[in-house]
Amino acid sequence: MSSRRSSSRQSTGSVSRISDDQIIALVSKLRHLLPEIRDNRSDKVSASKVLQETCNYIRSLHKEVEDLSDRLSQLLATIDADSAEAAIIRSLLM
Amino acid sequence: MHLPHSTLKQEFVKKWIMGLQRCKFSNNNMSIFERKKAIKLSADTAMASARKGLTCWSRALISNPDRPVPTTTRRASLACKKIVKRSRRIRRTAKCGAARKRQITRSIAQCLVRKRTQILKSLIPGGEFMNEVCLIEETLDYITSLRVQVDVMRSLASASVRASEPHN
Repeated sequence: MSSRRSSSRQSTGSVSRISDDQIIALVSKLRHLLPEIRDNRSDKVSASKVLQETCNYIRSLHKEVEDLSDRLSQLLATIDADSAEAAIIRSLLM
Repeated sequence: MHLPHSTLKQEFVKKWIMGLQRCKFSNNNMSIFERKKAIKLSADTAMASARKGLTCWSRALISNPDRPVPTTTRRASLACKKIVKRSRRIRRTAKCGAARKRQITRSIAQCLVRKRTQILKSLIPGGEFMNEVCLIEETLDYITSLRVQVDVMRSLASASVRASEPHN
């Protein structure tokens, strides 16, 4: 816990040394991950648009995890936790 | 620090199966809702522990897995809409000179970025403790891990459907 606190204090102190170029590079990486912005060919995407699309994307991923958990809770209703079944599932997933 | 998709996937599957085995689904007293919560909890814990403590969000998620859905996002997104409406109204006003308009647009853009950063911070586990650069890096990592999680859960769902189909 104290190591987490000291590392965040360290990064707050060093933020003035981070260049604008690094921030632009990070934002462009974010753009490549987001499906909507990646397909949009324009180069001049504003920071606020990137942030908005990121938030929407994360919310949609959260929703999908919720829905999949629902589905799995019904599908896995009869699965036993013993190793034979888990091995089958593992081989199906890999 | 950024792992390829396949490595992360294998780590996640390994940890998730361990977590699911501990849940003891053979206990038939579990309701569907309790089972769903157990599945989601084990998936989130597996996703976070697959990062092996290297990221802030994963440590925050492990220490607080039942984070409630943030309610401030609604307020903040309504504030963003107001800011956008205000900027449209100002741009339409002919009274401001070009320089003044640029200045107003710039400050409105900064306001929007600030509000949206706030929303993003509420979405990432442990986000409220991060500065902006840290936030962007953590967001990248969090999104890749979420995609792995969704990928694996989807595969398991379709595999379970196939496994439960009667064989001829």
